[in-house]
Amino acid sequence: MTDLPVADFLSALLGSGLLLAVPLLLAALGEAFAERAGLLNLGIEGMMLGGAFAGFAVALETGRIAAGVAAGAALGVALGSGFGLLTIWLRVDQVLTGLAITILGSGLTGFLYRDLYGGQNRPLPTTAARLDLPVLTDVPVVGRALFGQPLLVYLAWAAVPIAALVLGRTRFGLAVRAVGEAPFAADAAGIGVAQTRFAAILIGGAAAGLGGAFLAVVDVRTFTDNMTLGQGFLALALTMLGRWRPWRILAGALLFGMLRSLETGLPILGMDVRPEFVGMLPYLGLLAALVVLARRAAMPAALGVPYERGRR
Amino acid sequence: MTPTTTRTIRERVASDAVAAADPALIEARGIGKRYGAVRALDDVTVAIRRGEILGLLGENGAGKTTLMNVLGGMTAPDAGAVLIEGRPVRIGTPRDALRLGIGTVYQHFALVPTLTVLENARLGVGGPLARTPGAVERRLAEVGRQLGMDVPPGAVVGHLSLGQRQRVEIARALVRGARVLLLDEPTSALSPPEVDGLMATLRELRARGVAVVLITHKLGEALRLCDRVVVLRQGRVAGDLDADILDGDSTVAERRVVDLMFGGSGVAAPPPTSGVPADARAALAVRGLVVRGDGGDAAIRGLDLAVRAGEVFGIAGVDGNGQTELADAIAGQRAPSAGTIAVDGVEIAGRGVGAAATAGVGYVTGDRIGEGSVAAASVAENLALKEVGSGGEGSRFWLDRRGMERRARAAIERFAIRAPGPATPIGRLSGGNVQKVLLARELARVPPLLVCHQPTHGLDARTARDVLTALRAHADGGRAVLVISSELDDLLAIADRIGVLVDGRLAATVARVDVDADAIGRLMVGGHVSAPDRRPA
Repeated sequence: MTDLPVADFLSALLGSGLLLAVPLLLAALGEAFAERAGLLNLGIEGMMLGGAFAGFAVALETGRIAAGVAAGAALGVALGSGFGLLTIWLRVDQVLTGLAITILGSGLTGFLYRDLYGGQNRPLPTTAARLDLPVLTDVPVVGRALFGQPLLVYLAWAAVPIAALVLGRTRFGLAVRAVGEAPFAADAAGIGVAQTRFAAILIGGAAAGLGGAFLAVVDVRTFTDNMTLGQGFLALALTMLGRWRPWRILAGALLFGMLRSLETGLPILGMDVRPEFVGMLPYLGLLAALVVLARRAAMPAALGVPYERGRR
Repeated sequence: MTPTTTRTIRERVASDAVAAADPALIEARGIGKRYGAVRALDDVTVAIRRGEILGLLGENGAGKTTLMNVLGGMTAPDAGAVLIEGRPVRIGTPRDALRLGIGTVYQHFALVPTLTVLENARLGVGGPLARTPGAVERRLAEVGRQLGMDVPPGAVVGHLSLGQRQRVEIARALVRGARVLLLDEPTSALSPPEVDGLMATLRELRARGVAVVLITHKLGEALRLCDRVVVLRQGRVAGDLDADILDGDSTVAERRVVDLMFGGSGVAAPPPTSGVPADARAALAVRGLVVRGDGGDAAIRGLDLAVRAGEVFGIAGVDGNGQTELADAIAGQRAPSAGTIAVDGVEIAGRGVGAAATAGVGYVTGDRIGEGSVAAASVAENLALKEVGSGGEGSRFWLDRRGMERRARAAIERFAIRAPGPATPIGRLSGGNVQKVLLARELARVPPLLVCHQPTHGLDARTARDVLTALRAHADGGRAVLVISSELDDLLAIADRIGVLVDGRLAATVARVDVDADAIGRLMVGGHVSAPDRRPA
């Protein structure tokens, strides 16, 4: 395979990198909302797995990719509302609740998959629709990678400016930032702290579920046990690395995606490296970036702190 | 500074006319609120008219803040009703209160520090103000002009001084159409010129027909500013002083209020000081001290100081002139970048808390809740906290629970700490009682040098007196006490000598016997008027 044209190789590398970045991007964007509102969601991993399984199952049964994707997002919303009810109104510890959702999501999806589908590899019969712009896809190297991706990829990219706009320029975004920094001040200003936080965690849940569904339905096109490979936790790190700002989160997600595409890219080049080592690269890269860039990150001041009126 | 000189006859006539035409704008009627066994409010009725400044006075725990929280929608009362212009209204949430035109300025403010002034003003705004683009911005500019506010709308609140934040809070309440403005201890964070500015603002609001409720425990300010004073004691209205008394002889009015606040027992002055011989041994010698603040700039800039055994040395000054950095450096919590600190001849500069404690420094921080105590731990545990790291008696592994409880009971009794028992989490106690616990913790170790920062901040008069008396007694026992306080009255009461801290240096050191309070006051603000506020955000 070493005689593969360089342009094609780079194109494939870029294309798969952009694809691999999507679940992480979505989950981290959603988590940015949750954390900006003061909720630390350690359940992202479980929500992603739930979204992946629900998406896979619904897409398999209906034969429709869109239905699967919608199911994944819906399950994410459901899990997000569970997280919200427990942590906001019942004041259960956020860390505990999140970890429970992650453990539950991992165990339950694995069990259901084996129970319903016998644990055998069941690929989806259909593939997701792709954008295929006639002239642009012919541009060397970047053409196919940029203009020939599944539609959901563009939706994820569009989510970046939308998230930035909502957080920065809307009343809802201001409310989210206020309840995460100073819930008492928000309350005193007449903002519903609980309602705002709940809305934020629903966004977080939906995004995580969507990310999981993308992974299973659009990218891999099947479900496997713990197929998210810790990307839920990586999304948490990425949110912090991106300092809760959508554009920075996009940059981090792309870095991660590119490093992951090396995992398949380097062996194709004939480089003799252990796949385990290359597989570690994206995680190492993100860890290094975290250490360098996120050391001075100023967290939302009320992150992880429940709010109760009259108790400061 | 008698009330009559600061309030013109014309103003009085004007507000009387308004009052006659329009009785109560807002009335709290028969309000009751209990927290467990404590009656925070018991059948409290208070009415406030348009264009009136009402002072709400009382010692800590008298129910002032609870009443304010009821009116502001933060606390639901168990009994009673709130009426606006004679009609009963329901105030279930802060949002309800804002909609009814009740604005609140909380003691520690309710602004989001990471947001700008304008963003804070926009928070939670609803109705027509929210629907019209730029409406909040225009209203804010308009209110700012009326109040003479100097804060740009794009400034991030966390970078503003406390005085500026307060003006933002007031402006924001007016932007949202407040007809009633509640202020909780608004002067506690302000320098004297800022207090004057606040008073001018409140008088301006009164002239515009706003009903102002001023919660304070500073008598002088209340008497200067208020048209009427209501005194709360143990959750009940102890009495009501109207303009006739307030405008009369200020000492008579003051005595009346004090009688009402404390049920006639009054507050005795702390005991007089005994002179300290000039040749007494120096317990603390500081030379050429330079300490950087959190921002990286030098906050203490070449300070020399000597405190003798048997002496209370007071450091006066407006907050933010290096007080925290000086206290931290002596306590070993902050390494100075230059200079020496010797305690009984032992050099401790930059050697850490352990070295300072071993050399004999006891330290009561000005940050009682954050730095001084672990809120969830019991009184007994907090009292033992400083021994956990540095030995103490008994086992090096096990806690001496029985001894801790015994010592806690002794401290509770000796300092009259109002706590159900040694096992009560310290976070449940009032600020004054927390302060007594912290003081008891230090005094139990009988430190040759006791450093106390803001010992009476937020304390009611009686607790403040107890604390000051304990500090004086410690010095009279032959130990040195360094008191850093922005309350000049405290220092005048107990200090043998007073140094004025301005911009990180002692601008002057005077013996109390020949002290001139006005001169110290002028020195305190003299070096500070143009200096930026250096308080960390």
